[in-house]
Amino acid sequence: MIVYVAEQVPSMKILLIEDDHVIAEHIIKGMKEAGYSIEHASDGLSGVSLALSESYDVAIIDLMLPKLDGLSIIDLIRDKKINFPIIILSAKRSVDERICGLQHGGDDYLTKPFSFSELLARVKALLRRSSNVVEPTSMIYQDLELDLLSRTVSRAGKKVELQPKEFSLLEYLLRNQGHIVSKTMIMERVWDYHFDPGTNVVEARVSKLREKIDKEFDKPLIHTVRGLGYVLKQAD
Amino acid sequence: MFLSKLIRAPKTLAARLTFWYSAAFYLLLLVSLVGMFIAVSTLLETRMENDLREDIEEFNILYQQHGLNRVLFEINQEIMYENPEHFFIRLFNSQGELLLHSDLSQWRQLPTANNLLNALSQQKDILLKKMSHIDEDLTSYTAYGKIGKDLIMHTGESNQDQQETLDIIKIVSAIIFCIIIPIGALIGWLTARKAVSGIKAVSAAAADIEQGIFDRQVSVNSKGDEIDELANTFNAMADRINTLIEEMREMTDNIAHDLRSPLARIRAISESTLSSQVNSDSCHKAASDTLEECDRLLQMINMTLDVAEAEADVRETKVDLVDLNYLTEDACELFSPVAEHKNIKLSTHLSGPCTVQGNKHNLQRMLTNLIDNALKYTPEKGEVIVELENEKSDAILKVADTGIGIPEPERSRIFDRFYRCDQSRTQEGCGLGLCYSRAVARSHGGDIKLKTALNRSSVFEVSLPLSK
Repeated sequence: MIVYVAEQVPSMKILLIEDDHVIAEHIIKGMKEAGYSIEHASDGLSGVSLALSESYDVAIIDLMLPKLDGLSIIDLIRDKKINFPIIILSAKRSVDERICGLQHGGDDYLTKPFSFSELLARVKALLRRSSNVVEPTSMIYQDLELDLLSRTVSRAGKKVELQPKEFSLLEYLLRNQGHIVSKTMIMERVWDYHFDPGTNVVEARVSKLREKIDKEFDKPLIHTVRGLGYVLKQAD
Repeated sequence: MFLSKLIRAPKTLAARLTFWYSAAFYLLLLVSLVGMFIAVSTLLETRMENDLREDIEEFNILYQQHGLNRVLFEINQEIMYENPEHFFIRLFNSQGELLLHSDLSQWRQLPTANNLLNALSQQKDILLKKMSHIDEDLTSYTAYGKIGKDLIMHTGESNQDQQETLDIIKIVSAIIFCIIIPIGALIGWLTARKAVSGIKAVSAAAADIEQGIFDRQVSVNSKGDEIDELANTFNAMADRINTLIEEMREMTDNIAHDLRSPLARIRAISESTLSSQVNSDSCHKAASDTLEECDRLLQMINMTLDVAEAEADVRETKVDLVDLNYLTEDACELFSPVAEHKNIKLSTHLSGPCTVQGNKHNLQRMLTNLIDNALKYTPEKGEVIVELENEKSDAILKVADTGIGIPEPERSRIFDRFYRCDQSRTQEGCGLGLCYSRAVARSHGGDIKLKTALNRSSVFEVSLPLSK
């Protein structure tokens, strides 16, 4: 049995090419807190020289950059057969832009403004994909256990009955344990809805899940972070 | 100015039309005149030959009924009346001796009597022969044949009269041609001018629109011809452009207004945090309030863009088969906890397969918009019914609620951008959901209608063409 254990990733190195200093600092701070080491270039040319001279596990590249634009950077990197995953950041949200970015060799596309937790989740997903980690068959957090094969959940040894979507939601929270996931991310990953479908769909879901997972136990695991989303962690 | 117009003229459509019209016209005229000329001259020639033949036949009959003397008398009569330059007559006996002849001074190279006898011995009939005339412009037509058993008559005349007739026809044709050329060109020019005048009107209107006069229209003369069609299409296009610009203007105003309120709140939050006693709790609260306002702003901006894109059909590049049954069930499943929370009965009625062609995400979003609205405006213990059925070639999707209804005067405006009914202002939302839904329905070739009764229920009915 392969058990999913979080926080084993760090010592990974991220390259950030972003000219907006406020956003760059925000990302650097967050990534360092998450345990990654990160290097930052604030224009296209210095970004390319960093990308070509050192090795990284993942790169985050803005599209609109001084001196050399993001797409050209990606072209140059891919021409040199450097294959680390790339996340494109852009203020342009049209489908065409997105497709264009991915065709140039980007692996993911994130529209500004974005929440840091979403960026982190995407970075993690890309790292997981590129490092060929074997998919776990079960996940454990504290006394919560989730079996992906039999699709059963138990807490403190007691079986919890969940509906299919509730199971997927819990699985997603568990995969990101300790990190905040936004409503948008939940909608995208659990329901495949790429928009906010309405007022309090996610709240209602989470509160139902909470009733089943947390209600009868002392220490709640699912927490709401106002304005940001939800997180699975131990109570403070 | 005039000169440049003149230089440009050969390139214009009107000039080219005139040229080709006139050229075709003249060619036809020329062909018909030549044809007529050939027909007339052939007719005249045949008639001359027939006259000669009949002459000889008449003398033959005369000879058989009244004898040689009567024939000689008649020939002398004819010789007296005819002009010897254009007429001759000879009468031989079977030995080739000349019995009688007219003045032959103008007629040379007449065949000898033996030649005639030889030709006639082989053939009993009357023989016809063309000859040159002393006047080179003319031709002579001659005929010879037997009179009775012993005599041979040889007669001929020039085609002077016929030639004169043909000359007159030539002159008249030339005159007709000369008169027709300017008239034809003029008619051609006028026709071409009239044909392209509609195009000119449209091009003038297009030039005006290019200058920024967007409410410009082309007058239609309602003849139903191609030019009218062009004018109508053009007017429809101009209308659409004008409407879009008007809408854009209105939308910009609305956005500016609606974006101000969240911005004002963000500003107020930051200002009060800065000016009051700061502790970590209040900072935290201010930050999360700001985040919420930002998300609201972002949602509004995105939604505005989505509406614009759906209305411009930009996104309809992605066309796949979408199973509406699945979509409806999925959406209702998504909303079931919300309904449960509000104690609303959310039910779906599906009947038969319903597949449409289009963009799955947009349709999904339209559907969730409608369900979300229904749940929002339905009080506790109410009911929301989502019904899907296929009717002929359309899929009909009905979202009915037992909500607050929509008052009559507001019904026509609920699909407008940023329009919010008085009762809805307290609810969360940005006033774009229905507008988006309609844009999606229309971009899929369908539409959305509202059926409502105040204080009872609203039914939104979407019709989408089923995939074939």
